Amino acid sequence: MKVLVAEDDPDIQVILKMVLTRLGKCDVAITYQGDQVVPMAKSNRPGLILLDVMLPEMSGFDICKALKADPETASIPIIFLTARSMPSEIQEAMKLGALGYLAKPFDPMALVGQINQILSPLGVSIGA
Amino acid sequence: MENTQLSFEQILNATVRMLRTTWKTRVCLFLQMDDQGQLQVRASDGLPLKKVSALAVNPQEDPYAACFSKNRIVEVDAAAPMGSLTKLLKPLLKKGQKFVLVPVSGETRVLGILFMGPYPRKARILPREAELRSAGALCAVLSAHWRLYQWMSNFMPQLNHDLRTPLTAVQGSIGMVLGGMFGQVGGDVKEMLEMAQKGCERTVRAIEVYINTQTPK
Repeated sequence: MKVLVAEDDPDIQVILKMVLTRLGKCDVAITYQGDQVVPMAKSNRPGLILLDVMLPEMSGFDICKALKADPETASIPIIFLTARSMPSEIQEAMKLGALGYLAKPFDPMALVGQINQILSPLGVSIGA
Repeated sequence: MENTQLSFEQILNATVRMLRTTWKTRVCLFLQMDDQGQLQVRASDGLPLKKVSALAVNPQEDPYAACFSKNRIVEVDAAAPMGSLTKLLKPLLKKGQKFVLVPVSGETRVLGILFMGPYPRKARILPREAELRSAGALCAVLSAHWRLYQWMSNFMPQLNHDLRTPLTAVQGSIGMVLGGMFGQVGGDVKEMLEMAQKGCERTVRAIEVYINTQTPK
């Protein structure tokens, strides 16, 4: 599966790329800039977007809103993967149409399982 | 159980309502200095807060300057221009009335203005200066708390984020090594990495307890 990761921390980018490639068997594209997510989602057509909240240029919440408002990208499942883990922030993300919310720090060895659990209602998974 | 906890907005509005009743006037506004150096209406009784909360006035312009810059209680002829408040106040006014501006003073500077009126021009308000200043002091305390509350509301989620982000890299790297992604580790190395991982987990729990539970709701 193609996964688009929007993450601005270079160390976490490395970890996510390694985990998603090796354990998730995913084709991973990464951007650190918020305003690049929507154009990349349109051109790459990922099967999943992992989205941080605090990104340069455009917040994860605004990106989620834009993706859900665009018929071309509305059906792409979005999972927030973020250190912004206050209950109000989780609530806002879910209201915007995200499929799930994972808080940082995460256990890299459990990440694929957690993503699959969130994806399960859609009948898709990674790592197979 | 019913949630009886009041927000700062509700407390400030209840305070200006109490002041308006005590001082027998139609309008009582609390104008607080904002980050842009403008006086913004933060609490209102007698005028709809929704309408006035968007309004700001310049503390360096008359009639506010005399009160704000000199920390003085000022009486203002109601016919005088009041900046962006003029239009809203006009329908309430009769000829020969005045407003009273009371400085809301902190320890070292004026934080805002209490705006009360209209009163008949002959009403003797100034002789009650001590009472008016006490009313201003009450608003100053609430204003300071509100600023602290706002600061905490922004600071705590930011701190939460800034602590969790580097922890993700630390815990993630250790987790991958211990998980065998780069080959098996054993013996002392494994023991040391497990100790580091436990330390990360304890830090995360501490963040949960101290930050998530202390952030203003």
